[in-house]
Parts: sequence; structure tokens; C-alpha cells
Amino acid sequence: MLWNTDRRGFLKTAGAGLAAAATLPRFAWAAEGDTLRLRVTADFQVLDPFGIIGELDDIIPRCTNVTLVRLGDMREGNPVRPWAAEKIEWLDGTRLAFTLREGLTWTGDYGPVTAADVKFSFERIAGSESAWAYQFEKLKEVEVIDDRNGIIHLTEAFAPFMVIALPYYGGHIVCQKAVEAAGGSYTTEIPAQCGPYLVDSWEQNQKITLVANPAWTGEKPAFARVEFYIVTDDQAAQLAYEADAFDFTRVAVGAAAQLKGAMPEGATLIEAASTRYAWLTINMNAEPLKDIRVRQAIQYAYDGEAVLAGAYDGLVPRSTGVVPPTSGYARASNRIATRDVAKAQALLAEAGAEGLELNLYALTDGTSQTIAQIIQANLAEAGITVNIQPTEDAAYWALGDKTAGEDYKSIELVLMNFAGGIDPTENLVWFRPEQIGIYNWSFFDNAEYEDLYQASMTEQDPDKRRAMFNRMEDLMEDSGGFIFICFEPYLALHDSNLVPVILADGHPDPVAFRMT
Amino acid sequence: MSSAADASAPARRGIGRALLADPMGLAGLVLVTIFLLMALLAPWIAPYDPIALDVKAKFQPPSAAHWAGTDHLGRDLLSRIIWGARLALGIAITSVGIAGAIGLVLGLIAGYGPRWLDSILVLVFDSMSSLPMIFFALAVITVLGPGTTTLIIVIVLVSFPAYARLIRTQTLALSGADYILAEKAMGAGTGRIIFRHLLPNVVGPLVILICMDIPVVIMLEAGLSYLNLGVKPPSPSWGNILSEGYNALRQAPHVVIVAGIPLVLATLGFTFLGEGLRDVLDPRGAGRRWG
Repeated sequence: MLWNTDRRGFLKTAGAGLAAAATLPRFAWAAEGDTLRLRVTADFQVLDPFGIIGELDDIIPRCTNVTLVRLGDMREGNPVRPWAAEKIEWLDGTRLAFTLREGLTWTGDYGPVTAADVKFSFERIAGSESAWAYQFEKLKEVEVIDDRNGIIHLTEAFAPFMVIALPYYGGHIVCQKAVEAAGGSYTTEIPAQCGPYLVDSWEQNQKITLVANPAWTGEKPAFARVEFYIVTDDQAAQLAYEADAFDFTRVAVGAAAQLKGAMPEGATLIEAASTRYAWLTINMNAEPLKDIRVRQAIQYAYDGEAVLAGAYDGLVPRSTGVVPPTSGYARASNRIATRDVAKAQALLAEAGAEGLELNLYALTDGTSQTIAQIIQANLAEAGITVNIQPTEDAAYWALGDKTAGEDYKSIELVLMNFAGGIDPTENLVWFRPEQIGIYNWSFFDNAEYEDLYQASMTEQDPDKRRAMFNRMEDLMEDSGGFIFICFEPYLALHDSNLVPVILADGHPDPVAFRMT
Repeated sequence: MSSAADASAPARRGIGRALLADPMGLAGLVLVTIFLLMALLAPWIAPYDPIALDVKAKFQPPSAAHWAGTDHLGRDLLSRIIWGARLALGIAITSVGIAGAIGLVLGLIAGYGPRWLDSILVLVFDSMSSLPMIFFALAVITVLGPGTTTLIIVIVLVSFPAYARLIRTQTLALSGADYILAEKAMGAGTGRIIFRHLLPNVVGPLVILICMDIPVVIMLEAGLSYLNLGVKPPSPSWGNILSEGYNALRQAPHVVIVAGIPLVLATLGFTFLGEGLRDVLDPRGAGRRWG
């Protein structure tokens, strides 16, 4: 027997024992050739597009369901191509006609995928309580012409509809008959599937396996099986990757330098700008922060350079808002772009807020805690005492949720980050007045912002849209409710013989993964 | 009148000498002394401000400027470890001290008081002891929120029942002793019996138990801080340093090593000292050790 004594060989053996003793008892320890092994950070919760919450919630429907169009890799500019639609074209500014491909069939004897399914899928989300209702805000109705043909009618011209509404999340097509038979919605068991893969098994909090759908008539995916391994911790995931437990995993920002110095054999590092934007929420409704001078003092005391160097290893520049620079619509700079502690102190004195003490809520991950500590030190220099409140996921997302009680009105500072979309409106939507108590935790309520948001949805001229978005971000910053931190870097490790496809939300599209 | 308490005085005078003669006890004493000195002298011996950030100098390996290197925010690790000793020992000694005092009072009441009160108190001690420590700690932290005060409350609540039970058992054993009965027969009051005869004889085992519990408390504090449930940043808790170091384990392993060493040494020191004290204060134990 030959022993492999290189670094990866050693780690493979050591990692196997380590992982077997821990929580991942069923790793496949070698690439199977026809099996794609992906690491994800958390188990899925809701597979119904109506209630999708997180990462795997959307990745699985990407495999088991279809959408009218599909996005390409974010590093290639998010190209859009027809997917379930054989043909899709604008008849005019408000009518989008589609023809479904032949051969798309639901499991469970529910027959072919029809235009009626498309109508049901979109109209159940439009105007509903679903978090994805915004995708269909301009949807008037879906007109069913026949089984395979339909026309999507919009209330008014909305150019980005194709990339906002159709490729993912609320855009997944579900089987009307199956969903109605299931009571109108579902959670962890998909009542009927039609995509390139079918769910084969689920080991809660450990592993999900998909297998190729034998009835799939479209372009064959490169792998017969897809296995998702749930590993929350980035360090553990990186070690497991080096032990050949997966073919693809995201890694921590802090790992970039170490990986560049000693890349695992046969691995490639993806380092890209992501659409995930991070910012500090300053709740202007909280008593100590009602005075705009206090909020501005916080903006002046913030040291953006220190945060970028400390938490992101200087891999990304400071953001000027929530509109990604890659969109071409981002602001040129922040209004308060440089730190001025003296000014912060003066503003606090003017507001009579010396000796101010604030709570800063942040998730418990390393990056969030690092940023929180730097902000704590920044504000201390200006005379503000910050108490960091490390908060676990569930409690964190309840902080600004009006359905969880009245506390959302008085939270003070919160470190936040959201996965972004392609069109700027997908990122700006969360700061509309109607989002207060949902995702607008700053209590930012500006009529001009709302007017601009509505106008930007239908404006076709890119220059005019850019001016609108820039103004909206000026309003956000001027309110004192926000400090824009950055668009987080995207770092992932994958086997060099693999061609991954990462969508705009930073999550992989396993269907599109290929071998070189 | 000569009593057992009086008879134990010569033995107590020899405690120090006996402890120094025991290699394990001596090692424990030395380690504990070092940590106590670190804690007491932290403001003067720490080379840097433990919370001063220097992001550009993050993850520097040990060097002449930073003997233990720097952490992810460029803070001097040696200074954080030294101040961490102050925090760890402060929390441990304060909390077990309070728990010990509560346990002593309740144990004496249970052991020397009326039967019905004893029954109630024993029920309370047993109920408290039956709670799994970590889950109980998590429950309290959920209600009160993380922080140093919460940690002390948690430790006091989980520790005092064991101390009270020990004191109660000792008190029950001693209260039937001939010299106590003789004191009672001679008209001695409850106060005299408790403070003159019972207290001096039950304190020894309590001190041993407290000493043995200090490393447990240090580890509990470090563990909860590691989970972001203990001491809040930027306070330099050893658990916080470990937790922050873990996030950069691959690129800067020195952080975890530097934070782990004092935890190991403090645990060993207090355990050795506790063992040594037990051997010295417990005649049966001493007999086993020295023949």
C-alpha cells in the first residue's frame, strides 16, 4: 500500500478521523466523479418559494424546480438566459410573453408544467405577506394563453422585472395542483418537483442529497448527484475541504492571506466582489439617537479604514451605499468620507449628549465581532461608550421585527449585512418606510426616497436612474441612520477541475457547475 | 476549657510548612501566587493598554516589542493575558467567596437549626444541585443578558448548594460531639457554640472545596466568554482571547496558544494547591500521603 505523504494526503487522513468523530459522519472521502459535494453553512428551513429564508432554501429549488429565466455567474455580469421558458420576450413595456419548454414534467403524476402553474406561482406571492412580494410589486396578472404560453402583465413599465422577479426566490415555479393538495403551502417536503435534480435524502443538520431527475429533458447537468454538507464554522469547513470532504466551500475573509501563501494542492481560490453589503444601522427612533447631531457624531467618529483593515484584511474598499459599484449606479463617495473625532465631540457637546452610552447589536461571527469592537473603540474616542451585545441568529433577526414586540422601536445600533441583488432597487427596497419594523431598522422614513424608489422602478434611462439612486443614498446618509461599511469580499475554495457558478446573491448554482 | 478547636491550632500553624514540603502543594502555591501577583499588579506590569487597537499591527508573532504577539485587532496579547488574570481571578474569587459565605451560613442553619428548616433547606440545595450547570447558566444568561455581573450570579447560584451541603454535614457530625454536648450542658448559648466551636472546624473543608472550585469557575468563565455569553468585549477575558484566536487559528496560531497557557497553568495551580491543602488539613489524607 502506498501512503500519500503530502500535506493534503495527511490532512485527508487526519480530517477523516476528526470529522467522523464530530458531526459529519457520512462524508464521501473521495471525489466520486459524478458527485458534486458542496459545503453550506446552515440547513434549510422552508423550501416553498413563498417562505424561503436563507441560503439552502433557495439553492435546493434551483435544482428541483424551474424558473422562467436563469442567471449566470456574478463574475460574468449576471447574464440572463431562458430556462423553463423556450422563448421569453417583451411585447411592450408592460407585457412579457413566454412559451414554456416542452417536456417539463412534475413528479407525482401531476403532469406537465403549465402556464397556469406560472400564474399560480407568481400571483400567490404578489401582494402577499411573503418577503419576496417586492419581486412582483409591479405584477398585474399572468394571462394564461394555453398550457405552454402566457403573458405577464405589469401595472407599469418595469425594466428590471426580468432579473428581479424571475430567476430565483419568488420566481421558482411550483405545481398548482400539488401545492393546493398540500394545503396551499409547504415547508420541508416539496410536493412536486420538475427540475434537473430530485431530493433524495435529508439528514437534518448534516447532509442533503439530490439525484438527477430521470424525467428531466433539458440540458443535462454535469453531475449525477449533488451532496450538500452543513458545516457552520468556516475554519472547520476549510480543514474539511483540505481533507477532501467537499469540492467547494466558502472560506472566511481572514483565510485569504494564509491560502494565498499556501494554497491546498489542486485547489483554486475565488476572490470576488460580492453583492453582500454591510452597514451600521443607527436607529433614529431610539431616544438617545433622536437628535441628528448625535447620529452625525457617530458618522464622524467611525473609522472606515480601520474596519476594512481589521475585519476585511483590506480586500475591499469602503462602500458608498447599498448599490453595488459593479452595477454602474453607485455613488462616487460618501458625504462624510473622512473621520473627524473633534467634529464628533463638538456635535455631541452641542447636543448635550456627553457621556452617551449605547448598545451595539452584532451577530456572533468573527467578522461582525471584529467590526463591533473597532466601532466600540472609535466611538470611545469621541466619548460614546458602546456596549457590544453579541446576538445569536434567531434573537438577532427578531431585534427589528415588529411582530416580535415593541423592542424594535428602541434598538440603538445594529451591525447588519444583506445579500444583494442585481438591480439597485433590490437593495434599496429594504429602506422604504413600509419596511420599518421589518428590515428598515433605522426607522428611516423619507417621502422623497419613496418617490424616487417608485420612479426608479419604471425609469428606463440609465443616467436618470443613476441620479435617482445616488440621491436616495444621499438621503440615507444625511438622515444619520446609516454608516456604509463595504460590499463584503466573496472567498471560496474549489477543486481546480471544477467550474463553479455563483449567482448574484453569493450562493452557488449546482445545476450549472461543470468539470474542466 | 480545652476544645477540639483549640487542639487544631498547632496543626494550623504547621500548614504552611507542610504545604511547602509537598512538591505538588508547593507547585500549586507558586503558580497561584504568580497569578495573584499578575492580577494585583496588572496596571503596573502590563506593557501596553490591553484594549488599545492598532489594526495595522494585527496578528504579529511574538517579538521583542510584543512578547506574546498581537491579536486580530493589533492588541498586545501579553497585556491582555495579564489583565485577563485580574478578570478571571476577580470573578472566580468573588463568586466562590460569595457562594462560600452563603453556603456557610445556610449550611450552619441547616445543620444546627430545627429539623423542619433543615428539611426545607436540603430540598433547596438538592433542587439547585440537580440543575445541569451549563444549561442553568445559559438560562440565567438568557434572562439577565451576558456580562460580568451575570457570570458572578450564575457561579454563585450553581456553587453555593455544594458548599452548604458540606457545611451542613460537618455541622451535623460535630453537633453531636461530646465537647459540644458538654458546652450545651454548661449553658453555652447557640452563638458561642456556632462561632467558637462549629465555625472553626467546618471552615477548613470549605476552604479546600473553594480552592478546588476556583479552576472550575475559571474554566466556566472562559467557556461562557468563548461562547460570547460571558465577559463582554473589549474586556480581556482569557475565553474571549481564545474565541477570537480560534477565528484565525490557521493564520495566527500563537493567539490560541498564548490564551491557552494561562488557563492550563491556573487550573493546575489551583488544583494542586487544593490537593495540597486537603492533604495538610485532612489528617486522614495526610496519613495516606506521608505515612
